[in-house]
Amino acid sequence: MTMLYHGEPNGPSLSVLAALYESGLAIETQPIDLLAGERHALPDVTDSAALDYAVEGEGPVLVVDGEAMSEAVFLAQYFDEATGGCGLQPSDPYARWQMLMWCRQATERLSPAVAYLGNLAWSQKRLAAMSPAEFDKLANTIVSEDQRKRWQDLRDDVVDAAKVEDSKTKVAQFAARVEAQLADGRAWLMGPFSIADLETFAWLRSMRELEADAFAGQARCLAWMARVEARPSVQKALARATADTPARAFAPGPEINRWG
Amino acid sequence: MADVTLYHWEPNANSGKPMLALAEKGVPFDSHYIDMLQFDQHKPEYLAVNPQGTIPAMIHGDRVLTESTAIMEYVDDAFPGPDLMPADPRDRWRVRWWMKFMDQWLGPSFSMIGWCTFVGPSLAHKPEEEREAMIARIPLPERRAAWRKAMFAEFSESELAESRRRIAQGVGMLEEELGKREFVASNQYSLADINIFNSTYMLPVGNADLCGPQITPNIWRWLKAVYRRPAVQQTWAMGSGRFTDRFNAIMGEFVA
Repeated sequence: MTMLYHGEPNGPSLSVLAALYESGLAIETQPIDLLAGERHALPDVTDSAALDYAVEGEGPVLVVDGEAMSEAVFLAQYFDEATGGCGLQPSDPYARWQMLMWCRQATERLSPAVAYLGNLAWSQKRLAAMSPAEFDKLANTIVSEDQRKRWQDLRDDVVDAAKVEDSKTKVAQFAARVEAQLADGRAWLMGPFSIADLETFAWLRSMRELEADAFAGQARCLAWMARVEARPSVQKALARATADTPARAFAPGPEINRWG
Repeated sequence: MADVTLYHWEPNANSGKPMLALAEKGVPFDSHYIDMLQFDQHKPEYLAVNPQGTIPAMIHGDRVLTESTAIMEYVDDAFPGPDLMPADPRDRWRVRWWMKFMDQWLGPSFSMIGWCTFVGPSLAHKPEEEREAMIARIPLPERRAAWRKAMFAEFSESELAESRRRIAQGVGMLEEELGKREFVASNQYSLADINIFNSTYMLPVGNADLCGPQITPNIWRWLKAVYRRPAVQQTWAMGSGRFTDRFNAIMGEFVA
């Protein structure tokens, strides 16, 4: 049995859904409520290590023969390779290294920043409104101690002002980085369309509302975001939304780098 | 002169990854030893190669590549020799998953303890002004903050305790993983083994309470299998005394 469990089309759930639709693989999908902790109570999971300890945090989960698979970029690579290559990754080794380096920057710098800001803005109140019994029940299903603590900190509205400032800076830096990458007139970040476009777009999309200043004067970046959003795969992923504003859907995400 | 030049420190953690990947593929390379404790990586000669001042870096033809795990993937893609990635897509996903888990969750905890107990004390004898000057030459702000903590012993007990917790957790997960498959992530020796061996070969000595033939038999089997590989022996022979001696002291007596 193969099933892709995903949250609202935002962040990693958006990029993985779009990658799946780019691949054309016939994999069944099922929406779950990440902020209700449904990711930690999936049926038919016999090997949950990659679910429990996903560095990405509360992202989508692909279950194949009982094994839970996580991490958006690697799931996109999996879809690409399961088809024998559907154009999501360059075949040239150096171009592939460049794409991986870009994606690492996106997952290590951009996504923790966006998740930090997005969770505080749009998910904190819902967690705070849960009864102690309700929250404890949810928290008890989270295996990773540090991931559980990030849920608890969000519920308790523990805000680190330095992390907020740093996250805002990182979002602005990434929008500027995209702008610079597109300066030679290319349509997609790596030249040809790739996972780098999906991953970057999926995290930046929600920031147009929350960090509008980061995009001021970044005309190429905005035009590129419109191009990515117009792709049929992305439209199909966005159509999976069950909420009115999926770009506001967040659940505790990747940890902000704690060392080195 | 080889087509590949590698700038690296000891065969340990990040520097060891491309050294070992190149050795497994049989790719000759010119070796440039960067003495991390002398801050060679922040000197102008090296910043001309990698402006971020991080080690390792690799030059292939006219291309400069950085980031140890990404360099390994490039080495596997770009050169002939034995495949260091399995063919099955799910195995390939698992290799990547374990490498990310090591690079971003478990590895930083090993690193924090190592920097607190070894790297920082190695530089403690230098006058404060000299240490400040060394920090001022570091290009990346995150690295400046890390070096400051190490050089001025600014680690909090709670963050060290959290690193120790993660190491214990991670070792348990690795033991479980190696109970499922012959190697990490698949039944084939891969980049995941290279990545993780480079940060775990010292476990039986540094963390004897967590890792040993009785308590982690799967890790023990795997460490011995990896240690016996000719490429591993060849790579550790390139280390300067301290690391090579430590490596042989840990493994040599157990793998006769």
